Amino acid sequence: MIPYCIAQIGPPEIELQSTNGVIKIKISPPEAKMWINPLNFKYNLVIWENSSNAELRSLNIFPTDIIDDLAPDTTYCLKVQATIPLDLKEGLFSPIRCVKTTRKVNDLVCATNVSVFALNMKFHLHWNNQYKQHVSYNVQYLMGYLKKLHDDYSVKWLSVPRCENITDTQCNFSSIIIGTSGFYYLRVQTMNEYNKSCLSDEVKVDPLITNEIGPPDVKLDISDVLLHIQISPPGGSESEVMRDHYDLSYRILYWKNSSNNEEEIKMKEIKQTIGTVSDLTPSTLYCVKVQAFSEFYNKSSHYSKEECIKTPGDKILPLIILATFVTALIAVCLVATTLVFVLYQAYNKIKYVFFPSCQPPLNIEHFGAQLFSSPFLSTTEEVIENCSIIETIITEEVNQVDFKDCKHSKQSSRDSGNYSNDDDTSGSKVSEETVEKEIV
Amino acid sequence: MNALGLTQIGLILLCTTTISSLQCNHLPLQQRKVIKKSLQLLDKMGKNFPRQCLREKMSFRFPEQVLKPRQKEIVKVTIEEIFQHIFYIFSKNLTLAAWDGTALEQFQNGLYQQIEQLEACIIKKQTHYFQSKEVNRLKLKKYFQKIDCFLKDKQHNLCSWEISRAEMRRCLQLIDKVIRKLNN
Repeated sequence: MIPYCIAQIGPPEIELQSTNGVIKIKISPPEAKMWINPLNFKYNLVIWENSSNAELRSLNIFPTDIIDDLAPDTTYCLKVQATIPLDLKEGLFSPIRCVKTTRKVNDLVCATNVSVFALNMKFHLHWNNQYKQHVSYNVQYLMGYLKKLHDDYSVKWLSVPRCENITDTQCNFSSIIIGTSGFYYLRVQTMNEYNKSCLSDEVKVDPLITNEIGPPDVKLDISDVLLHIQISPPGGSESEVMRDHYDLSYRILYWKNSSNNEEEIKMKEIKQTIGTVSDLTPSTLYCVKVQAFSEFYNKSSHYSKEECIKTPGDKILPLIILATFVTALIAVCLVATTLVFVLYQAYNKIKYVFFPSCQPPLNIEHFGAQLFSSPFLSTTEEVIENCSIIETIITEEVNQVDFKDCKHSKQSSRDSGNYSNDDDTSGSKVSEETVEKEIV
Repeated sequence: MNALGLTQIGLILLCTTTISSLQCNHLPLQQRKVIKKSLQLLDKMGKNFPRQCLREKMSFRFPEQVLKPRQKEIVKVTIEEIFQHIFYIFSKNLTLAAWDGTALEQFQNGLYQQIEQLEACIIKKQTHYFQSKEVNRLKLKKYFQKIDCFLKDKQHNLCSWEISRAEMRRCLQLIDKVIRKLNN
């Protein structure tokens, strides 16, 4: 047995106040140590007109609340129960209480039609005032959670900065909306010259739900076969908040813009801010428009402006073909020329070697076999004449050098002309021969 | 009944109707964002943990097994309950804590919105999640009651608040880990 599970929620205590055509209600939570967290309770009010065949109306109310959709000068009966929604537990109803509504007194007409317009996290409050008297407005806001507490929140309304004592019937309250920290209530207090004030109805603002997403910006870029779509998220500088919390995706619509308006519109959904489209027909005008949407919040923006771009077509293609052809032609010509040149050279060489065009003279032809007995070839005697001793006083080394040279020159069949022997031939011959014998 | 009256009814009922228009499948993602924001605000609320409060530090022992059940739905509901408890704790007398009022308000407001959204989703689905593991829920209640009693005993002084704040940080970080595991 778990006491918490078995225990029944007792009836709450209620205080009623009937003023100015409305019923103000204040609820105290059921007493029990079991309910460690009295903030878990949600209160269910049942109200009906104290007449026959009255319709029962059931609504969820806060611990301190106002019921004001009532007819004046009428008796209403009501009862309240506390519930714990998570446990699907419903408590006992409080005893039935009946109260009569008063007449509505309106010496000053309050602001009416209080409504919120929000685009890309910029929030504006608009209202009307039918009687354009000398009045000033004071816009106030309350943080949502304060209504959940059992404390009196009527003193916790704060003024919206730059919307105090204004005469304009609109207010920009973006400054109080901080990211997504919960929801807010807003109301307009009208003050006349006699310092009499009147409070308008409240409006609940849940930032991410109330806000509307604006259209994104689109830029198109085209390469040969791909269309690139660059999407700028909506909201500009505030787009970070929207991107973070809405988890934005983008829906791209694209179609061929031709005279025949029956072209199929294609759709693509992406999460990134760059999309690509392939399978493009050349020389065609493609048009694109993009919409941002949030699946979680079931919200979508308007479509962006249509952007169109033409795919590259026939104008460029022939040029490409011509350029390719000419390049190929030149290349082929070069190769062919080189080949012809090489072949020609080869042919010449072969012809020269194997089939010479010049014939040697007739008188030379017979000399082929008698080459070595020709009287015109030089003899060894001549060689000896090449050598000459220039200086007899010079040391042995020098002489040796000379003799070596002489030996070399003997072997050659030509007259080198390095050593002249015209001047002193006879003497040198004799001494040379004797020295030669010594060395050997 | 005039048009204004109807809008007033609409206003009162707005709580449940607008929230139920959200898809409940995306709630874990939303929960993670709320926890991340709440942790940031908890840090922003006050300064570093004061040294003089170290000797008063208490071990509350959060019952980690409550976040371990295999069914995602049960964990979702448990997290909602924890948010409700934290919301309740921070609605007490905070004057001695001397924290940044704006950060505290945003913290409470964010938690409250998340609680409402979760409640609407759970009510919508109308299933009984608590046929098992009642014992776990009671352990959770006991844990938060311990913190509540601790605060009352110390008359909500600065040290008791700082210790509670540190404990709530730990709690939220644990929940964040669990949600991350659930999503993967």
